[in-house]
Amino acid sequence: MRKEFWSKSSVAVIGGGSWGTVLAKLAAQNCEQVRLWVRDEDQARAMNSTRSNPTYVKEMTIPENVRTFTDIERVFDQGVQAIIWALPASACRETARRFAPLFHGDEMVLHATKGVEEGSMKRISVILAEELPLARIGVLSGPNLATEIARDEPAATVVASDFLEVVEAGMSLFNTPRFRVYAGDDVIGVEWAGTLKNIYAIAAGALDALEFGWNARALLLTRGLAEMVRFGVAMGAKESTFLGLGGAGDLFATCSSPLSRNYRVGQRLARGEALDPILSELGAVAEGVRTAQIISAFAVERKIPMPITQGVFELIRGTTPVNDVLRMLMQRPVGYDASAELGEFASRRRT
Amino acid sequence: MEDLPTHSPLVHFNEIRPRVVDEVVRRTLSEVPPEKVESELTAALYLERLRLQRERPSLFTFRRLNRDRKLWREIQSDLLKPSALADRQGMFKNVAARYAEEIAGHFDSKIYRYATKILPYGFNWLLNAASVKSILPWGMTEDVRNRLKVEGEIAHLRKLTQIGTVLLVPTHQSNIDSILIGYVIYLMGLPPFAYGAGLNLFSNPLLSFLMSNLGAYTVDRQKGNRIYKALLKNYSVKILREGIHSIFFPAGGRVRNGAIESKLKLGLLGTALEAQIENLRAGKTSPKVFIVPMTTSYHFVLEASTLIDDHLAEAGKHRFIITDDESSKFSKVVHFFWKLFKSQSGMTVRVGKPLDIFGNFVNEEGNSIGPNGTMIAPEKWLSSYGELKTSPSRDNEYTRMLGARIVERYHAENTVLTSHLVAFTFFESLRNRYPDYDLYRLLRMSLAQRTLPMDEFLKEAEGMHRRILEAADQQLFHITPELRTVDVKSWVKDGIRNLGLFHGNAVLKREGNVLYSEDMNLLYYYRNRLAGYGLSRLADPKRRVPGAQDEKGFLI
Repeated sequence: MRKEFWSKSSVAVIGGGSWGTVLAKLAAQNCEQVRLWVRDEDQARAMNSTRSNPTYVKEMTIPENVRTFTDIERVFDQGVQAIIWALPASACRETARRFAPLFHGDEMVLHATKGVEEGSMKRISVILAEELPLARIGVLSGPNLATEIARDEPAATVVASDFLEVVEAGMSLFNTPRFRVYAGDDVIGVEWAGTLKNIYAIAAGALDALEFGWNARALLLTRGLAEMVRFGVAMGAKESTFLGLGGAGDLFATCSSPLSRNYRVGQRLARGEALDPILSELGAVAEGVRTAQIISAFAVERKIPMPITQGVFELIRGTTPVNDVLRMLMQRPVGYDASAELGEFASRRRT
Repeated sequence: MEDLPTHSPLVHFNEIRPRVVDEVVRRTLSEVPPEKVESELTAALYLERLRLQRERPSLFTFRRLNRDRKLWREIQSDLLKPSALADRQGMFKNVAARYAEEIAGHFDSKIYRYATKILPYGFNWLLNAASVKSILPWGMTEDVRNRLKVEGEIAHLRKLTQIGTVLLVPTHQSNIDSILIGYVIYLMGLPPFAYGAGLNLFSNPLLSFLMSNLGAYTVDRQKGNRIYKALLKNYSVKILREGIHSIFFPAGGRVRNGAIESKLKLGLLGTALEAQIENLRAGKTSPKVFIVPMTTSYHFVLEASTLIDDHLAEAGKHRFIITDDESSKFSKVVHFFWKLFKSQSGMTVRVGKPLDIFGNFVNEEGNSIGPNGTMIAPEKWLSSYGELKTSPSRDNEYTRMLGARIVERYHAENTVLTSHLVAFTFFESLRNRYPDYDLYRLLRMSLAQRTLPMDEFLKEAEGMHRRILEAADQQLFHITPELRTVDVKSWVKDGIRNLGLFHGNAVLKREGNVLYSEDMNLLYYYRNRLAGYGLSRLADPKRRVPGAQDEKGFLI
């Protein structure tokens, strides 16, 4: 019945970047029509006429039941039952405030944004709840490199919300023969995992530049995951969430793909280039840079041990050469591995 | 007094009572699938037999208990018969009808009129009798209203009672609360409210007669079985649906540790949402239910000793219901009011900002206000898959949101009195002196250890006062006018004098140049009223969550 409801529904996708466009295509297979909002007039015209998004995902054909608009009122004018929010974190609050009067209150909102608000460190779902006149909000996150999903390669994601209905909406709208949607209830964990993993992508790029093998990468991912868990639990997340698609899954994908911007930043920083020229050359935001800066300061203040994050932060600052950062990390006192953290091991041995 | 507000259906409750009882019974029965009726009855039988073994009959309750015993004996023997001979549905209906009759109150407008007339006379008589020795000249009477400060959104509340149904959710410290709040409602010129009162209070025939005729319905927390709980919930939904304004104490019982409630029982709270959905579906003209938080601030709490001992012994789990505390003795209650009026000290009741069933603020017209002043349409929030209806998982989440918001509002609507600040400052000074002590060690300090030089205390008090004023400016809470002074000595004096005035031992006593505590447990109890704000210097202010404790066991 739910599937049936969604198959007759209209879904709005806010944001026509690569991920927004791919999500529009996935949803189009499960609902009546998708109304995609993009900022740029020319892009909208091109997408409606050529059925492709040449700027972001060239080779993917956009289904016929996806219509692209630049006028937000037209997106909403016949009523939509779900809104997929796929804007960068920096644009979140301002856009939400502007669009708020168009919402009725019975819509489900799923956001696919990775990152937090600068300054306040608020999660995206919190910002949306503060700005939109509705309560049913959730997050979609996972190992989802947009270009691969555009090519119909197998992939999966997790949808988390406090509201079961939102999770059901995500599962009904995005499940396709090549894309699986898993359910979650830990919004805090999924959002923080999606934010933090970008830091380790920078570190993975740096390891690549140093031409290390798989052991080093496995070390980074495992200890990086341990840091993410520590941070997440301190913020109120569940530990198990980090073992799921939104945690370990996303971390593995992001740190393995040399295509990601964060990875490339890391690579070039490790080769001794300065941050500013790299960023201006890449021409797009590498979220991991900001995240590392915010999180490392916060972790110090809250006394959460996050040595890799501190190392990435040193690298970004450009004051410490990559080999010194590496030496610092490798020569820290050795502690317990994940299963025996917090001295559990010691007490177990004693009894 | 003749113009008893008649727009409350509670006034005509006796006319609708049979229908209400009948509908509640039928609804409860309809919620149980036929194949589950027998197992529900069996489970209830087990719990009821345990209860009946536990309960000691008194002069006033033995008849009720005997009736219960008879009923459950019958149920037991009928359950042994095949269902063809003993109709399970019929048995369930009997049980439900018995419970519903017990729960449902009465309302007698004559008694209400007399009580509201007599109550202030009683208060005033006590007041004047107690004040004979005071400086009041003859013939001049001090009104009880001067002692009782009622602040906050009174006009707003009054307006909402005319455009919807109000569910008042006060903080709960003392059994005095029910009497006081009932009277405050009358003072504000509001129609009478229905409220749930513990069955143990009904064992006193006089109280029972008064309460049951003033809109109280009974809640028996000894009955833990699901049939009873379902009936109670359905009764609550039903009276809200009838447009009868109600009072719940959402924490379930009196707070044990003296702090502002941080955990609420969401089950009954959810009835507001259920009632509004049913009203909307039935097309009622004023379908909305408004949630109005209310806080009470006392310099002393009659039952503080029992409550804090219960909390500290962690016996709360086993002794969830205290039936034999100070408030159950009539003479103690009279004594309490006597002390109250004699002491010239006041109490503050604050009507909080009204909320909708999700925890959003509502304006004067009863419309829900969303972010940045946008309007919220509740019927849209209550629609799922294009249809306005109940949805258990969604509604639980909404009620959880409402509960979180009520806790937040309790803290913001709290009025800090001089005595609270004195208790907090003294306790925190001791903690600073002995930072390594955990809670239990601190509470067992010797007299020498729990004595502070007066000038040292005054210095601490000055610093704490500054933080309190800052926090009040940030609207973390309200403060009593006595704290709006630059003269530290004056409010400290007022606070020490009023703090826990009723108790046998002085919570804080000044002797010459020193100040000491005669009862550390009580000091902790009153100190906790300011917990949850991160005011303690030893607490990490970023980690404060209402109800959270630090590693040494102190409420943050």
